Amino acid sequence: MKYKKILVCDDDQGILEMLELLLEEDGYQVVLEPNSVNALKTIERESPDLILLDIWMPMISGDQILRALRDNHKISSIPVLMYSASTDGKNIAESCGADSYISKPFDLTVLLEKIEELLKA
Amino acid sequence: MGKENHINTKKINVPLDLGVLYKVLDASVTGIVITDNLLPDNPIIYCNPAFEKISGYIRSEIIGHNCRFLQGKDRQQSERKIISTALGKGESCTVEIRNYTKKGKLFYNELYISPVKDESGQITHFIGIQNDVSSRRKSQQELELVQQETERKVEERTRMYRESQEYLSSIVETIRESLLVMDKDYKVLTANNHFLNTFKVSINETKGKLLYDLGNGQWNIPELKKLMEEILPTNNPVLDFEVKHDFPHIGKKLMLLNAHRIELEGRYKDWILLAIEDITDQRALQQRKDDFLSIASHELKTPLTTIVGYMQLMERMMPENASNKFKGIVEKTGKYVQRLNQLLSELLDVSRIQTGNITLHQEEFDFDKMVADAIESIRAATPSRKISLTGKIGRNFTGDESHLIQVISNLLSNAIKYSADNTPIEVQVSSISDFIKVSVTDRGMGISEDELSNIFDRFYRVGEVQKHYPGMGIGLYLCQQIITNHGGTIWAESQKNVGSTFNFTLPMH
Ligand SMILES: Cc1cc2nc3c(=O)[nH]c(=O)nc-3n(C[C@H](O)[C@H](O)[C@H](O)COP(=O)(O)O)c2cc1C
Repeated sequence: MKYKKILVCDDDQGILEMLELLLEEDGYQVVLEPNSVNALKTIERESPDLILLDIWMPMISGDQILRALRDNHKISSIPVLMYSASTDGKNIAESCGADSYISKPFDLTVLLEKIEELLKA
Repeated sequence: MGKENHINTKKINVPLDLGVLYKVLDASVTGIVITDNLLPDNPIIYCNPAFEKISGYIRSEIIGHNCRFLQGKDRQQSERKIISTALGKGESCTVEIRNYTKKGKLFYNELYISPVKDESGQITHFIGIQNDVSSRRKSQQELELVQQETERKVEERTRMYRESQEYLSSIVETIRESLLVMDKDYKVLTANNHFLNTFKVSINETKGKLLYDLGNGQWNIPELKKLMEEILPTNNPVLDFEVKHDFPHIGKKLMLLNAHRIELEGRYKDWILLAIEDITDQRALQQRKDDFLSIASHELKTPLTTIVGYMQLMERMMPENASNKFKGIVEKTGKYVQRLNQLLSELLDVSRIQTGNITLHQEEFDFDKMVADAIESIRAATPSRKISLTGKIGRNFTGDESHLIQVISNLLSNAIKYSADNTPIEVQVSSISDFIKVSVTDRGMGISEDELSNIFDRFYRVGEVQKHYPGMGIGLYLCQQIITNHGGTIWAESQKNVGSTFNFTLPMH
């Protein structure tokens, strides 16, 4: 169960570091990607078990990444948990096919539960 | 009370005739309301069109309210006591009470109230019959005479003034708004300087020309045509008609148009006064402010997410042997970070609502469960407070569940904040005619009449309270937006040092 690999893509360094600490503390292997432009390449290279994806990022937004990911058969089946601070984040996540969604700021317990659920499936 | 006013209570209980009965009541020219005495605070479940006419309120603003809303702030009348004594004893009564229309106009209401009992003698309903007897009141009449006299004098004087062309043109020129006067064929008779300056035209290019030909046809705007030719002839005046247009020389303009058909006996007929207010900048400013609010709160959420995350990590990683003092500090910090987060969310919501971006989801859900859930989550946060729930709807409602939860939570947390710890809070749910009514009552410090009328305004906070509970008063504003977006109404009733009740109704389509 543990040592699963989670990739986090977010343009905010603070959130990346915080999530890294949390996820490692919980026994996951963590890969951080601060640049949304590189996200798809990094995902292909690392082939993580799960992706945490912010929606509002400069250059390429999370929903664009997710759509491209679903079209790429090599990585299309990786579960994706999206998050954002905006109230319509949930609708965006649903419309582009995210497996789960959580709004910022996170409740860490809920976040970890969702992660575990997605990894079990 | 005369016989003709006696209400045959048996008929009302016969199920077969309710429809017919309501039709008869609907046709009556006297105001009639029926209240349900078995529901909390005896709310109105039926009113006829005549009552709407007398009061100036529409049905959705009436159903679910207690009739006392007609008294407005005029709550020190002895008639009020007479009514409540009679109601308490289950007797009928007749009073003449000062009431106010929606627009705030005083009227003397000759009110007859009669109880309706079921077979067992229990009072199930009250029927109220209202007659506006203002004009019958002598003093009132005299006052009206004086008023008429003054009005006549004022009219005479203004006629003299009106006849002075100078007077008119000085107004037209002073006003900081673009004005055009046209004859009935839309030929321009005068244009003021403000118009000429704003639209960069000269008086020669304007006077005597047809409106639609002005400035190479730049006023040939379909919406304007519609206003002048279709709307104005049957609706005079037309106010605040919004038109957007891209002018060749001055660019895109957003304008508010007011059009009046004017007439001066014997002199001219069917002239048109068109006032044009340029609200382009004003609107842009509004938009920029809303954008700012939205971006600011969104940007603030990102670092806040990190802070909230670390806060929770701190709680998780707290060493067993940490001192209680230290644990307390971590807990307090967490609590205030949470409050900051709440404020930011509200700010985000306000800017969304302002820009019309709030999306109401229309989903069917169990209304009673939603209320119970909202109460439960508040109970979890303040377990020591006694919150009771009475009544239920017993059917599903279609609307935005998460927003309605927000409304109830907001009303509850206000009730908790503004009343002492040991006092109870009551939530009452009832279905009234085709409306749902929810009331949240506290035994708190109460709100004065003056403050009551403002509390749903944006950023308003009840004066005294402000010192104790600093923050932004956008919660109630949001509640109001959410309820009105559902087609409902929200209002508060309160007595200083007795407590407050916040109510809302929602139509069940
Ligand atoms: C059927 C019925 C109709 C009423 N109609 C009116 C009305 O038209 N105007 C008014 O001022 N009060 C009206 N009342 C009285 C108020 O609802 C309320 O009973 C009164 O103000 C005394 O109660 P309070 O002291 O709690 O306000 C009516 C009451 C009932 C039961």
